Amino acid sequence: MAEASFEMALDRMFAETPAFGDAELFAMRCEARLDRGWTARRLLIGAMGAVGGLIGGAQLLGSGLFGRLNALSLESGHAINRGLQDVLPHQLAPGLLISSEAIWLSAVLAAVAVGLAVTRLVRDI
Amino acid sequence: MADSVKSPASAHDLDLVALAATGGRAAFGELVRRHSSPVRSLLRRMGADPATADDLAQDAFLAAFEQISDFRGEGTFQAWVKRIAARLYVKRWRREARRDLLDETSAMDEPPVHGEGGQADRIDLDEALKTLSAAERLCVTLCYGGGLSHAEAASALNTPLGTVKSHVKRGLDKLRQRLAPGREFGPAESKVNG
Repeated sequence: MAEASFEMALDRMFAETPAFGDAELFAMRCEARLDRGWTARRLLIGAMGAVGGLIGGAQLLGSGLFGRLNALSLESGHAINRGLQDVLPHQLAPGLLISSEAIWLSAVLAAVAVGLAVTRLVRDI
Repeated sequence: MADSVKSPASAHDLDLVALAATGGRAAFGELVRRHSSPVRSLLRRMGADPATADDLAQDAFLAAFEQISDFRGEGTFQAWVKRIAARLYVKRWRREARRDLLDETSAMDEPPVHGEGGQADRIDLDEALKTLSAAERLCVTLCYGGGLSHAEAASALNTPLGTVKSHVKRGLDKLRQRLAPGREFGPAESKVNG
């Protein structure tokens, strides 16, 4: 009984802690450290992304991928144009001819649309 | 739960924890404001000097923010942070002091006992803890202030369970003499089971 009483008193004494006068300052320092950590993390991620992007871009340029894509888009444009000429009346076909730039632009817009859809989907989930 | 929070200052700890878990730093700042004093106090009672205690308390809160999704709300937020802080202190204590609790005598650098028994009624817990050896003080504060069981304290200190128990027992006996010299208490047995 006496033992329990002493332990209860000890528990109470450990629980009784003085409120530090600089608690607000301490909290502000803590938040500042937290912010510093987040800023450093953001900068690190940004820097790593930039370096990765540069390396990836250089690899793409070096591999001649753009040339191959350009050739592919030219071929696709020609194929579409041939199809259009077969289907459309002779008077309309020249105005609707599709250039390789249009193919590129369509592909980029499609990629952006897919990106937006995925972002929306992820946010909804 | 978190949606019902109007302002951090009036919110319940669990609501603030939920907000902090989604990255709410203002909510976490409020948790720090509420619970920093007990955590800092615990570290000082464990034996840390004020500057070290503050550094470790900050580390403990930052660690708590990093792993806040692990907090299940089974105990209080304050108790959870105290346990993190206590473990951080033990880690530092072991690294810096290179003390080995296995060798009880080497760790028992008995500090001078201040004051006389007749003045004990004026001695508070902080003063009484200073009369314990470093090992006793650490074990008692870990198990009582930090909320660790004997087994958890032994694991944190990398020390046999029996050694921790004997430190706690001796520490409690000394505290009893200092804090309640005129009262009848039985031999020390910890409430914290290993």
